[in-house]
Amino acid sequence: MPDKHGEHDWHPTNQMATVLSLVFPNAADRPAEADALRIALAQRGDVDAFNEIYRIHAGRVYALCLRLTADTVKARELTQDVFVRAWEALPSFRGDANLTTWLHRIAVNAMLMQRRSEKRRSARITLADDDDGDERLEMLEGVAAPRDVATAIDLERAVAALPPGMRRAFVLHDVEGYSHDEIARMTGLAAGTLRAQLHRARQLLMKALSL
Amino acid sequence: MTDRPTLDQLSAELPRDIAPPADLWADIRAGLEPRDAVALPRTGMAFRTRQLIAAGLVVAVASSAITALALRNRGATQQAAEAAPSRPAAPELPVVLANAEHGYTRSVDALQRTLDERRDSLAPSTVATVERSLRVADSAIAEARAALTQDPANRALAALFASNYERKIDLMRRATELAPRT
Repeated sequence: MPDKHGEHDWHPTNQMATVLSLVFPNAADRPAEADALRIALAQRGDVDAFNEIYRIHAGRVYALCLRLTADTVKARELTQDVFVRAWEALPSFRGDANLTTWLHRIAVNAMLMQRRSEKRRSARITLADDDDGDERLEMLEGVAAPRDVATAIDLERAVAALPPGMRRAFVLHDVEGYSHDEIARMTGLAAGTLRAQLHRARQLLMKALSL
Repeated sequence: MTDRPTLDQLSAELPRDIAPPADLWADIRAGLEPRDAVALPRTGMAFRTRQLIAAGLVVAVASSAITALALRNRGATQQAAEAAPSRPAAPELPVVLANAEHGYTRSVDALQRTLDERRDSLAPSTVATVERSLRVADSAIAEARAALTQDPANRALAALFASNYERKIDLMRRATELAPRT
């Protein structure tokens, strides 16, 4: 019986639900308050509350990581890294940013760090980064079949085939809706560089999708 | 001829959520360091006892334990009844929390009676561990309570207060399960 020899029968969700219903009778209608509560508990070390935060935000974080990395294995590692970092940094979270934005910022930082370490490991300098759009374009041109060019799947594939810098700019701006300034703060990129990457990414995507 | 969607339209239709692998949380959970590292006694402890301590430590990290409420070592049932956790002055709390606290303390009392009845069947080291964990739990409750009296409208504090009680009760319930009925 699990409770006697191993995992106990604590039900964190029920426990949290009890607390939420007690002090936040209208929490279901006030997601911001419920979020604040979970954050406050997780800041004090409550793993159950952090699990709640994970359940709520994991989908958006994973989607971002998947689009930034264009690789399911890396996206998994990155998502894991994001939430472990978030746990460590949560005590210093002051609520001055939306939690989703804060998690996204961690994701972008973690992704940039991963890329830097990959660059260091790799002897290849080509990296197909931001100046090799033409080479990537050849890949992109084969992405979309003419008959289903307008599907989201094609767009996902085309985005995945973008050079990393352009992909990052496009995903953060056009998919996630961050402003140039916000992205510049997240990535440390100059606004001009960011605009150029975004412009080039759109050109490549439109060409690849025959738009 | 149908209009082709624009890139903006296609981008807007992309899903914002993509379900991560189902087992990802387990990996994340394994990588979370406790907020406070506390050395655990290892000798003479059954695995379930360590689990119990771990539950107590959850309470420990839920509070910096500024205020120490007494839950003294008790050798006998009568002493235990007399030394029950100090009862806070309820009027200082908002009504809804005072009512909740009343319910919690009733549960605590009932569990305490059961614990006292079964105390002799537990190893002294286990009793000491349980009581240490309960002292931490009480400190956490007292800290949250004191903060609430200063800031009764603070919902996060209210939640912390209630959560600490819930965890104390869970800890006590687990402690009673450790001790066989006599």
